[in-house]
Amino acid sequence: MASSPHPDLEELIARVAMADRTAFARLYERTSAKLFGVCLRVLQDRAQAEEALQDTYVKVWNNAGSYRVNGYSPMTWLITLARNAAVDRRRRSDAGRVVQPIELDDRLADPAPGPAQQAEARDEAQALALCMDELPPERAEMVRRAYLEGATYAELAAATGVKLNTVRTWLRRSLLSLRECLSR
Amino acid sequence: MTGTPQPGPPGGEEATAAEYVLGLLPVPERQAFEARLARDPALAREVASWCACFAALTADISEVAPPASLWPRLEARLHGAAQPPLWRQLLPYLLGAVLAAGLAWAAMVTGLLGPALPDLRADLRAGVQGLEISLDYAAGRRTLTVHRTAGAYPPDQVLQLWMLSDSAEAPVPLGIVAPEGPTDLVLERALAGQISGATLALSLEPPGGAPDGRPTGPVIALGKLAPL
Repeated sequence: MASSPHPDLEELIARVAMADRTAFARLYERTSAKLFGVCLRVLQDRAQAEEALQDTYVKVWNNAGSYRVNGYSPMTWLITLARNAAVDRRRRSDAGRVVQPIELDDRLADPAPGPAQQAEARDEAQALALCMDELPPERAEMVRRAYLEGATYAELAAATGVKLNTVRTWLRRSLLSLRECLSR
Repeated sequence: MTGTPQPGPPGGEEATAAEYVLGLLPVPERQAFEARLARDPALAREVASWCACFAALTADISEVAPPASLWPRLEARLHGAAQPPLWRQLLPYLLGAVLAAGLAWAAMVTGLLGPALPDLRADLRAGVQGLEISLDYAAGRRTLTVHRTAGAYPPDQVLQLWMLSDSAEAPVPLGIVAPEGPTDLVLERALAGQISGATLALSLEPPGGAPDGRPTGPVIALGKLAPL
């Protein structure tokens, strides 16, 4: 069925959009371990992560036709679907989850990495890691929790002991700093 | 950031796009944002770029192979317990059209419609670009007429029409939809015999169409022809 022995992910997704189940199986083989890792990280629970992974691939099957029209790389698209499926499950299922406190640190953040260090950031992940390091540690932790754990503003407020509106202002400012750093 | 006090949360639309991707917007703000997103391509790019940025946070998350039992569960969830024919699964929203085609077929075999093949019609709607395509099939002339009824033709790409049928191994290219005016596609006799039960798919392809006769771009719309 496939037109080349090693079709890339974009080609597989295009074929899934044509309801090609062989391509869907190959896409699953090649990406499910990463996406399962993401679901586990968000949910911290194997059974729940398995359900979230299924939700993810159901969405892949149903929405493959709208991929690319949106301008995402294949892995960004897949990781976003997995993260959102896992966060949806997490927010639905455990209203009473324990919020680990985030220590507020009044000291200045570690000095930002110099230009030489930044030049070594070869790919997006490294660049992001460096820019996360430029944020005060507790703010970086808030960004991480918001994405990787699906923490809500209410949970971030509880974790920091700061008012919700303040938390929101902090997070928005941190996101902008992150973006500004990444665009350097 | 200029340091001047601003009303509302700081960061403007850029930060709101990030909050949207994180799923942090309160419901009314999210709905307002989605309304803007639907008509602002720049905002859609902003959202895509935040998705890429946050996805990079998963770079050091290790791969964990899911249990082997998960794949059959997923298949069963998507396709039911039986093993239907490969890759030609009709999407749920096509069920109405399938039913209509089935009724027409039943009517035909019971002689209600007589021996003449019915003229067929379908409307394809692309989810994202506002494209709407109407298809009219004149059985007597074996001609499929394709009209773009709404939305813009994609720049730098062509729309190619395919037929997915149970008797064909791979999607059969029917032709390229012209950017302007109706396109008449005359079907070979063998294809014409399959068209009434077939699913039609519209994909985005490079200029000149898919190079090796198989779809390469995303499928942006699917539909099934039903009797008029």
